[in-house]
Amino acid sequence: MLINVANRAHKLCQGANSLTCIVAALCLTLSLSAFSQDSLPQLDLDLPLRLDFSGSWEKDFRRSDNWEDELSRTLRIRQESATRQQSSPGSSSGRSALPISIGNVNLPRSRGRGANIVDLARLAEYISRHSILDIIQTRDEISIERNGEAALICGVEYKLQQTFANEHGVEVCAWEGQQLIFQITLPDDLIIIHRFTVSSNQRVLNLLTSIFSKGGEPFNLIQAFNKYEAPRDEFNCIQTLSRGQVCSQAGTDLSTVLDDF
Amino acid sequence: MNYSRNTSSIRVLTALLVLLLLTACALTLPEPKPVPIPAERPLDLVGNVNLIQALQVPSESSLIEIGVHVFGTAQKEAGEYKIGDWVFDEIIQKETQFLPHLLKNTLVASNQWGAIRVIPEKDSSLDLIVEGQIIQSDGETLELQIHAFDSSGREWLNQTYADQSVQEEYPESTRFTLDNTFDAINFVDPFQDIYNRIANDLVAVRTSLGEQALVDLNLVTDMLYAGDLSPNNFSGAVKENADGLLVVDRVPALDDPMMARVADMKYRHHLFIDTVDEYYQTLYEDIQPAYVLWRRYSIDQITEIETSQQEANRSDYGGSSGFLSLSQRYDRFKWSKIFEREFNDLAAGFNNELAPAFLELNSQVHGLTGTMEQQYREWRGILRRLFELENGDLTPGATE
Repeated sequence: MLINVANRAHKLCQGANSLTCIVAALCLTLSLSAFSQDSLPQLDLDLPLRLDFSGSWEKDFRRSDNWEDELSRTLRIRQESATRQQSSPGSSSGRSALPISIGNVNLPRSRGRGANIVDLARLAEYISRHSILDIIQTRDEISIERNGEAALICGVEYKLQQTFANEHGVEVCAWEGQQLIFQITLPDDLIIIHRFTVSSNQRVLNLLTSIFSKGGEPFNLIQAFNKYEAPRDEFNCIQTLSRGQVCSQAGTDLSTVLDDF
Repeated sequence: MNYSRNTSSIRVLTALLVLLLLTACALTLPEPKPVPIPAERPLDLVGNVNLIQALQVPSESSLIEIGVHVFGTAQKEAGEYKIGDWVFDEIIQKETQFLPHLLKNTLVASNQWGAIRVIPEKDSSLDLIVEGQIIQSDGETLELQIHAFDSSGREWLNQTYADQSVQEEYPESTRFTLDNTFDAINFVDPFQDIYNRIANDLVAVRTSLGEQALVDLNLVTDMLYAGDLSPNNFSGAVKENADGLLVVDRVPALDDPMMARVADMKYRHHLFIDTVDEYYQTLYEDIQPAYVLWRRYSIDQITEIETSQQEANRSDYGGSSGFLSLSQRYDRFKWSKIFEREFNDLAAGFNNELAPAFLELNSQVHGLTGTMEQQYREWRGILRRLFELENGDLTPGATE
């Protein structure tokens, strides 16, 4: 298209007066600006801008909670709180915040007391074993990949989003300011909340995991992650149905690989 | 020593902050909606249907020409979309292009009709147009809304057809490998009953119309096509009768040279739409193995979900809240989510695999540009201009 416009302007200038040439140049400029506008991606202003979580992240064990230490600390705080309560029986104990209510989720639930803090702590450790996070973020969506775990995927909209639901559990996600929150509600009122925050320089990512059982006190575990430069893949791969992953060396056009089959 | 004291005080502070943070978040997060539980829609299944095949070729007036229009899809409500749904939308969009081909093949196999073609656009040169909308399509269920009407405006069919398949209808060759190739020749589509039922219903309508109505229909089609080519010359050729159907008002003479030219144009046009139809045939042959495999995965997934639901209903985790029970609950959730994600990846893989075939379809007709639908429109425009040139009808706006 650009070549066409340039050729036409050139032809007009040949053997024409200067006014024609100026008009042609003006047309060329207008056409160029129209063309460059066409090629620009459209920005959807209805979508909020979010901090950039994307990249590869590795766990910083030194700055992350050790679950056993955290358990001991929680037990000690509870013990101290119980002692204080016994010494002043009139005072009411401060309750921790309850997680988000997600209405009638039709998940099986049983009566009785919730899990004890030791079991919640062990579960927190169990679901936080991954040491690497790979986060892909676009203008519309963020996807958090964890080794051996299902990816956490959320849109960037303001509203609360239900991202997965079946008889085994319900997952919702929401943004609170620049924090990304996932809440997983499992049968018997077992609730897991992941809260992601990223530093303003996008070098450090914090993940707070809270586990509640039947509305009781939560167990919290904080993990810190540092950004690192993952080596570039040597291959471009594309998933196909009948041939599995089809790969080519980085830089090769995959459509030609697909055509060859 | 000092360092550890500092660390523990930082931890206590962090814990307090976390507690405050949790209090804040629980108060400010909006209340989510309850989980929507999709209601089971009762399906009126077609059951086992044998195709009515004509042993002898029917009379000439019965050999009406049928165009099976590329199907459409049912529009989803805005709130019905979930993250990742676009992958499945893309698959349905592809199905709209090749499910009509299965219906066409069934109509051909019935030996009851004239030429039958899959067409990307409505076509005034054909006697009967069959339109369809995919309401539901997965490995287990196919539900189609079918609307068939002839060139006079008479409605032949307007109803929903549904069929369900079972695992046994997917033979071992559908899970093909290098050693176990897909047997396309002997494969019977698991939803063949739907197409058989539609074909039989069309035959029933044709039988109820009678011979004269079919002769009249053929004439209406010819005049409509002539009017499409040259509105100036044939504008008053058809009119609407009391029943709201189009009938021929002015019958041209048998030796009318204009009608001979129209017939000539129609012949050229049909050559073009035969070619278009062949491209849909090639498309179907190219993608059939992958499509059948996709449906097989789909029915596997549906079976797996049903089994998983039954297990979940049976399981109350014994009322236990020990670590083993908690981790089991988490694992079941995790694996069901991973399983769904893998299925989404397969769906995306299916789309990736089909992409070159669709690209090929849209770049087939050389000299014309755009999608198959655009090329089709462009071709009809060329024919109209050609007709006007041959007849000296160069009235401005006549080509529009």
